[in-house]
Amino acid sequence: MAQVVTPPNVGHADPAIAVARTTEDVLVGERIVRHTYASRVMHWLVGGSFILSLLTGLPIWTPIFGWMAYLFGGLQVCRWLHPFLGVVFSAGLLWMAASWWSQMSMTAKDREWLSPGYFAKYLRFEATDPDTGKYNGGQKALFWFALLGGLALFLSGLVLWFPSDLSQPLREIAWVLHDAAFIAFFLMIIGHVYLAIVEPGTFESMIDGTVSKAWARLHHPRWYRDVTGDQRK
Amino acid sequence: MPIQGLEILQSSASLRGQETGIRQLPKVSKYIDTTTCIGCKACEVACKEWNDLKTIPTVQTGSYQTLPTLNAEFWNLIRFNEQEFEGGLAWLMRKDQCMHCADPGCLKACPAPGAIVQYANGIVDVNPENCIGCGLCETGCPFDVPRFHAGTGKMAKCTLCVDRVESGLEPACVKSCPTGCLHFGTKEDMVTLGVARVKQLQATGYANAALYDPPGVGGTGVVTVLAHGDKPELYGLPRDPHIPVAVTVSKRILKPLGLLAIGATIVGLFGHFMKVGPKRPHAAPPAGGV
Repeated sequence: MAQVVTPPNVGHADPAIAVARTTEDVLVGERIVRHTYASRVMHWLVGGSFILSLLTGLPIWTPIFGWMAYLFGGLQVCRWLHPFLGVVFSAGLLWMAASWWSQMSMTAKDREWLSPGYFAKYLRFEATDPDTGKYNGGQKALFWFALLGGLALFLSGLVLWFPSDLSQPLREIAWVLHDAAFIAFFLMIIGHVYLAIVEPGTFESMIDGTVSKAWARLHHPRWYRDVTGDQRK
Repeated sequence: MPIQGLEILQSSASLRGQETGIRQLPKVSKYIDTTTCIGCKACEVACKEWNDLKTIPTVQTGSYQTLPTLNAEFWNLIRFNEQEFEGGLAWLMRKDQCMHCADPGCLKACPAPGAIVQYANGIVDVNPENCIGCGLCETGCPFDVPRFHAGTGKMAKCTLCVDRVESGLEPACVKSCPTGCLHFGTKEDMVTLGVARVKQLQATGYANAALYDPPGVGGTGVVTVLAHGDKPELYGLPRDPHIPVAVTVSKRILKPLGLLAIGATIVGLFGHFMKVGPKRPHAAPPAGGV
């Protein structure tokens, strides 16, 4: 079961990072490869287009964030740029759906993870489920809600992009849906970013693709056992 | 650019304190008597001439109506509604244009600061300099008036000839009307004129005659005399227009709630970080668990 790769001879490059270009879920020396280069590019395509969509969308949402529009050259620029960024974001999410769909399927264990009792323990850092795999229930839930939210944002965004020839009820529904979906999505992403800050080592896994053994053991014990072959719980 | 010499009462997507000046101007209004309109379309032509609107192909709608609906290059449209009544046919002509609501849905819906302004005299105008052409004003309008102009990328609609009005002239449509069914003056005077005309109509067999000045949008800067005032729908006018519910949900509910939720989440997570701190692996895993 263990996926141990002998460190390749890659000159001065980090052997684990070199392996992470194409392979994930393997142990290279003291590092475990968590995300391939393609996965990380995909993640940042979604993340980057989300941030730019946010910066161009917030000033349209409320004048409190009007100053953000000047980063792009004004509100008129935001009005035409925002929909194109939304298309990139949606395309990124589609790619994400295609590549992560199967590994994100919810198990009974994941649903238990999402129960208020366990989630509260998780937030106090007291959760010690030894069977958490590569992705925990919360990460899987984020994936499905992101796809759902992305779909709502894309469809309502299309209506808002070309409103002129569409019916009044459709325009009204799209407006409210776009607002509600964006608020929910943004709240979710604030939590997502926070967890990358509060759990050191997590952010790096999305940059160079690797994590330490201790990190894997702490956050994803079952994944750690599967990858390293170290069966101690 | 807002018209010089006219103070601003309300401005779209603007925080408090947008009112300028101290002059209290009387509210102005257009008066339309549909019972004396002969459908000559002089007002349509005058509107296009004064506002330099491009000639666009007309559309055969099966009646004398020039176009099926308002257009970014056509801000003033006479609608020809044929209605059968007991004892014959009625030809209900109605002048369709911006109603210059006292409580304008377009202005409430607009996300661009200062792109829609309401002047102290009540005229609601699009300021192209600030307009981003998003079309939300069209969604916010209970009368379906603003139109997107593909050439300029801005919204366009009747200005009540604000450039004429601020110089003491009447709007071009009123100037051109040959029957006197159009008048322009203070809102108070136009309502007085309308009420008198409604009484006259009621005395001459139109028991349901009424003045259309819907309170749901705070009254309009266009008051319309209708012979069949009990059925404004026959003229293509909404019975009880209000600002669409999406404007209220978005601006009054989702915006404050969303801002609160976003702020509270960020503050809450900062508190969490201080209280629980970063989650790091222990130097040596404690026996019996991770």
